Amino acid sequence: MGRHSEFVRNVMPHMDAAYNLARWLTRNDDDAEDVVQEAYVRAFRFFDSLKDEDSRPWLLAIVRNSAYTWLRKNRPSDVVPLDDTAPISEDTPTLGHVAPSDSNPEVVLLQSASRKLVNQALEDLPVGFREVLVMRELEDLSYKEIASVAGIPIGTVMSRLSRGREMLREALELRLKRAS
Amino acid sequence: MSHQLPREPGDIEIARDATYYRAPATLRTSVETLVGAAAREEARPRMRRAAGLAAAFAAVAIVTWNVALFQAAPSREDMFAHEVLAAHVRSLMAPGRMNDVESTDQHTVKPWFAGKLDFTPPVRDLAADGFPLAGGRLDYVDGRTVAEMTYHRRLHAVGLFVWPEAAEGDAPLKQRTLNGFSMATWRQGGMRYWAVTDAAPTELTHFAELLEAR
Repeated sequence: MGRHSEFVRNVMPHMDAAYNLARWLTRNDDDAEDVVQEAYVRAFRFFDSLKDEDSRPWLLAIVRNSAYTWLRKNRPSDVVPLDDTAPISEDTPTLGHVAPSDSNPEVVLLQSASRKLVNQALEDLPVGFREVLVMRELEDLSYKEIASVAGIPIGTVMSRLSRGREMLREALELRLKRAS
Repeated sequence: MSHQLPREPGDIEIARDATYYRAPATLRTSVETLVGAAAREEARPRMRRAAGLAAAFAAVAIVTWNVALFQAAPSREDMFAHEVLAAHVRSLMAPGRMNDVESTDQHTVKPWFAGKLDFTPPVRDLAADGFPLAGGRLDYVDGRTVAEMTYHRRLHAVGLFVWPEAAEGDAPLKQRTLNGFSMATWRQGGMRYWAVTDAAPTELTHFAELLEAR
């Protein structure tokens, strides 16, 4: 049982990370559980392919594959290729850089942003942007690790993060305006 | 669940304002059950693994989809595996002979095969999914001319062999490791597919799933 106990010691502790990524990709509790179960069985089978690297990104790559397989079967419209060549607008402020001003109605609206609104706005982002934001902000993975998990170049990781934050901020503003 | 507002105006941080979903206790239990069952199955004869694992999945009452089960392979498949691997390695060894036609454009690679084969191999570009097309070549497997499409996966090469196979229905994905290479085979739409790479088996699973999903 040496292999099994190694797996339990190395991979089992990352179940929160696995579930969090699967939950953000599938946007549903039950589907996320199915994806994690599938991914763990697969991870155990391929455990020998884990060398001296960190087991968390290794596991997340398998979770992502399982989630994408699930999405392609069940919600193919979720998985559309992204155009990474579109330029990023220079003068659009990114999240966290909105100029503070109490008289700005936009700011007043942003102040009423609840966790629910942020969650909804993040869920509505295309999966290619959503996943890099989740891996960077919630999982604290490095650019290099995200590139490896998502199978994209580091430059693409950075541009998707930047565009993703911008899209999220715009989506939030829109939601807040509608809500008010 | 706090519904507190951002402290600074407009200062929204995903790490603080979005939910980090933690695995429910029931999920932990079912994953431990599944992995424990898979570990026990490894000690058993190959033929029984598939059934045992399927039972474990049923035991925790979940829906499985497309589980690539390892099954006892017939000797004919072993033979194909060796032939395909030999053909792929030969192409890697011959300088400048990796591809007979080098192109990342499926609309260049596909017509190149026309007239050279008595079937039309499905040529797809998977660049958007991290497997850019590199080209195509001909080889000889099981006494017939076959198509090999080559793809790149970061620094690795992935070879995809295709030839027609007259048999009813599709056959599920099977994976193996041979001489350090990862291999996968399946039958879909009357074609037999063999994929081979020196990248990790998980990469090949992903590659095969992408092709199967199209």
